[in-house]
Amino acid sequence: MNCEVCQLKELEVEHFEIREVLRCILHTIVFHRALGLVRPKDVDLELFEITYVQCGDVELEKKIDEKIDQFISWVEKHPNKKSQICLSFYEVKSKQPSWFTNKTERLYWEQWYVNLNVTQHPKHLSSKLHHTKVVVDPGESATEERSSRRAMVEASLREVLFQIIKFVNEKKDHVPPISEGVIYFPYEITMPSSSDSAFGMDMIKRMLHSGHPTMLS
Amino acid sequence: MDRESGKLEQIVSQFRSKILHVILDSRVPSLHQQQQESLSLSRVRKTDKWFNLVLGDRPPALENLNFSLRNLLDPMVIDIILVRHGSCSSSVDNLYVPSAAAAAAAAGPSIETVIERWVVQYDCPRVFATPSGADAAVSYKKIYKKCILLLRSLYTQMRLLPAYIIFRQLSSLSQTYNFDLVYKVSSFSHPFSREEEDGMKVYSFAPVEALPGCLCVSVTYHASLSDFNLEPLVSLPPKIITDYVGSPTTDPMRSFPSSERGAHATSFPLRGLRPPSSAPFQRPHSWSSGFHRGIPPTRTQSLAGSPPVYRTSPKPYDITSPPTDLYGNRIQNHRVSTLQQATAFDEYKLSPPFSPSASPSTPTYLSGANPLLTRHCSETAPVTIPLPLTGRSTRYLSPNSSDPSRHSLPPLSPRSSKHDASSQESPSGIRSYRKLEALRAGESPSGLSNLYSAPKVVRDSKDDSGRFSGLLSSSGSPRIGFSRSSSRLSFQDDMDDCEFSCPFDVDDVDVSDSSSQNTESKRASEFTAQSNLVGKKSQDAAVGILVHMLRTAPPLRQDSSCYSTHSLRTEYEGGVGIASGFFMPRKTADALEELNSYREMKDLLLSKSGMK
Repeated sequence: MNCEVCQLKELEVEHFEIREVLRCILHTIVFHRALGLVRPKDVDLELFEITYVQCGDVELEKKIDEKIDQFISWVEKHPNKKSQICLSFYEVKSKQPSWFTNKTERLYWEQWYVNLNVTQHPKHLSSKLHHTKVVVDPGESATEERSSRRAMVEASLREVLFQIIKFVNEKKDHVPPISEGVIYFPYEITMPSSSDSAFGMDMIKRMLHSGHPTMLS
Repeated sequence: MDRESGKLEQIVSQFRSKILHVILDSRVPSLHQQQQESLSLSRVRKTDKWFNLVLGDRPPALENLNFSLRNLLDPMVIDIILVRHGSCSSSVDNLYVPSAAAAAAAAGPSIETVIERWVVQYDCPRVFATPSGADAAVSYKKIYKKCILLLRSLYTQMRLLPAYIIFRQLSSLSQTYNFDLVYKVSSFSHPFSREEEDGMKVYSFAPVEALPGCLCVSVTYHASLSDFNLEPLVSLPPKIITDYVGSPTTDPMRSFPSSERGAHATSFPLRGLRPPSSAPFQRPHSWSSGFHRGIPPTRTQSLAGSPPVYRTSPKPYDITSPPTDLYGNRIQNHRVSTLQQATAFDEYKLSPPFSPSASPSTPTYLSGANPLLTRHCSETAPVTIPLPLTGRSTRYLSPNSSDPSRHSLPPLSPRSSKHDASSQESPSGIRSYRKLEALRAGESPSGLSNLYSAPKVVRDSKDDSGRFSGLLSSSGSPRIGFSRSSSRLSFQDDMDDCEFSCPFDVDDVDVSDSSSQNTESKRASEFTAQSNLVGKKSQDAAVGILVHMLRTAPPLRQDSSCYSTHSLRTEYEGGVGIASGFFMPRKTADALEELNSYREMKDLLLSKSGMK
């Protein structure tokens, strides 16, 4: 089975927007992979005019929030850096035990890469104030800048959500069969650790396990 | 063979029904409300299990539609139509429109525009070969799984399209709009005109292979709805009232000019005689100044059922704090869903910034006296202003006059009872008011003279209001108490321990009886006027009267007949019946006897004063 990989469009967000953006994206992905009996729950974002859907599982929501907290902690230690969160779905396969391997192994059949560029301050604000010749009230320009930036982020987030829908619709054959009583497929959320090299090693390991990934442009 | 084809037909049929349910539930507010009610129940229905998506009960209209579209090979076309009602000449006419339907009736001709068209079709060739055996089972499982995936993505996309914003606006209960969303389901559709197609986009979901055919779902939708000028019918801007009662920005001692001098709640009995500086007033009270403000607008909103919860908002009345107006109510609904608060009472709890600590001057006894006060205390915690019995609606008035202060005063009954008690406590033998005045003429001028003048004030107020409380409400303090000298204040100190109204009660009695007392001649029937005298409570006056009595009283061993003649004689001879008996020539024995009697009287007097 091939592992389908989806690289989502990069989003430029501010620190305080991370939680909402990640919640929206991760829950949307999981909702499309929670093929068991679900009671969908609509959630409105507070920062953007977007409504996304959760599958309504409390345990899942809690785990995702924990991962988001870890990611935010990482971002605080590595400010102004591009970061990536990987949401992987796998199957648990039993394997012949040997000296070096466990009894079970994970077969990743799908990976989603959420790319974020976390900025600390709006980067266009100061440059505009310097270059403009007309005396403008800095308060007004800051508000306009903030609102336009917010609209851009919202549009980008919508694009990402449409990207998810398109990927889900176009790629269906690799999805494993639905198990009885299981609401969602086993998943894993990985993020960059304290060192980037360790994160890269994790990715290589996963690639080795899953075989040759097909990249979605 | 038939069994397998039956399975496929069942999947296709249920798939169409499910899609219809998802679409209508996300576009038709009335159907969505029904679904919300059914979703509250925890049980999962048989229809919910199809495609593992719990949506609640299917509306009856849906069942009828399924029946009419039972030919699975026919496409199912679902049009979501935006109906815009014609605008009236004046928006004020729509101000009190009770419902959108009434507004629509009152408006002009409507304009209908198809903003979304969903087409669900099972493309199947006429001649086909159905799979059989194990292949068929695997095939149906795959078909079923892919249908689930398609429905998941369709459910998500429904919330990303522009029409969802309109749906959320119409779903909110706090406003009415000049537009509405309706739907039409049919097996055919009129093609769009070129103009209609200009602003529309098409999105087609990946077909689901359901051999021998495939399930196709596509949507044609308006990319932007800003051209339609969709606005609410009544758009009153939220008004934040900053100078409400209890606001920290208002002057807590703000009062009428006439009462400024005496506008101290320290005169109020339950607060004792604390000086004004020690009382941290944070808002005016009706009994102090008649200062009132209207109720914050969030009360009206809470009554209208607006969504609650603005705990994180810094504003006390956070009606809309969203990015745009369109999502104002939506975000409130989001808070309802995420925080699981379905009542408007939470906003109500937040809205007034009153807190029990904000008003230490609350006259606690009032709430006990009047049950209405207790009820209203729970709404605005420390405010115990008694309200009129007409109900809550009166709270929305802005009674910026002194009249409501009348209603805010404690009831009269405790005062009268207190008055009776005081009269009983007054020492016996209190003489006429005029004599009392004469006795104290040599004493502090601030005593009886002021006391004598007080009734006039009270009389005026009593004539105006018929109640002593009228005087109290306009000044917030007993004028007698604080407009006089210090000795008068000491007089008040003794009275304030028990009740507040005593001076007024006594004054009133003076008003009624002073005139009659002034016309009385000097008689021995002084005991009958004792209970009607002002200053009964003054021990000094009582002692003075008693001394006078003792001075004019005959010796103990003398006959009563001698007493009466003696007193008369003294009055006639002396003109002033004050201690006339001291100046009669007597023998030593008589003097000694008289001295003994006086000693006994003195002891008696001291014992009586000690008991008080």
